Amino acid sequence: MERVISIGERLQKLLEEAERESERKITEARRKADEMIARAKDEAENRRIMAQRGDGIEDLLKTEEYKAKQEADRILEKYRERAEAIKKVPREKIEEAISLVLREVLPK
Amino acid sequence: MSSPSIELEAQLIERTVAKRNETLLRAEESVKKILQAAERECERIKAESEKQILSMVSSELRAVRDRIIGKANLEGRKILMSAREEVLSALYNEVKHRLESIADGKDIGIRYEEVLKKLLFEAVSAIGGEEFIVSANKRDYIFFKKNLADIKKEMREYARDVIIRLDENIIDAIGGVIIRNPEDTKTYYNTLDARLLKARRKTESEVAKILGVI
Repeated sequence: MERVISIGERLQKLLEEAERESERKITEARRKADEMIARAKDEAENRRIMAQRGDGIEDLLKTEEYKAKQEADRILEKYRERAEAIKKVPREKIEEAISLVLREVLPK
Repeated sequence: MSSPSIELEAQLIERTVAKRNETLLRAEESVKKILQAAERECERIKAESEKQILSMVSSELRAVRDRIIGKANLEGRKILMSAREEVLSALYNEVKHRLESIADGKDIGIRYEEVLKKLLFEAVSAIGGEEFIVSANKRDYIFFKKNLADIKKEMREYARDVIIRLDENIIDAIGGVIIRNPEDTKTYYNTLDARLLKARRKTESEVAKILGVI
C-alpha cells in the first residue's frame, strides 16, 4: 500500500511538472507573440515615418512605374494599330480627294 | 505484492501519463493558437501600414503614372499625326504627278493649252494694268512664243487690250505663269505649283475627312 502511495506522489509530481511545463510554454508563446506584434508595430511605424520623409518608397514607386510602363506599351500599341488603319485608305476615297484638289488647282 | 495491487498501480500510471500527455498537448495547441493569432495580427498591422503609406505616397505614385502614361499618349498622338501627314503628303504628291501629266498633255480629258491660257488671263485680271511680263517654264514659254498673237487677240475679246512680253528667263515649275508689271512692283504667281500649295492649305481638312484620317 505504501508503494502505491509513493507511486501516487510521484505521478502527482509528474502531472504538476506537466502543468508547469505547459504554463512555461504558453507564457513563452505569449512573450514571443507580444514580441512579434511589437516588432511589426515598430516596423510599420518606421515605414510610415520613412514614407512621410519620402524614404523607403522605392519599391512602391518601382511597382507603379512597372505597371504604368505596361499600360503605356498597350496604349502605344493601340495608337500604332490606329496609325496602320489610317494608312489603308480605299482607292475610291483617294480618287475622290484628288478630284477635289484638282478642281481647286485648275482654273475654272 | 498481490496482483490487484499491481493492476491498480498500472492503471494509475496509465491514467496519469494520459493526463500528462493531454496537458502537454493542450499546451502545444494553445501555443500554436497564440502564435497563429500573433502572425495574423502582424499581417493586419503590416497591411494597415501599407494602406496608410499608399495613401501618403499616392500623389507621388500618381505623378509617376501620369508621367509615363502622358508620355505614351503624346508619343501615340505623334504616331497618328505622322501617319496622317504621310497619307496627306502621298495624296498631294499624287495630285502633283497628275498635274505634271496634264501639263505634259498626257491627260486626254483636259486640254492643257486651255488651262495655261486661263492661268494667264486670271493673272492678268488679278494684277491689273496694261503691260505685263510673263515668266514660264520652257514648254509653256515655247507655247506662248508660238501663240502670243492669238492669245493677245483672245484676251482682247475676253477683257481688254494688253501688252504682253515674255521673260527670257525660264522658271522651274510644273506649268502656269508668273506675271509682273514692268515696274516690278506687282507680281502674281499663277503657276500650278503655287496653286497646289494654296489648294493644300484650303482643302487639307476636307481631304482629311474624305480619307478618314482625322
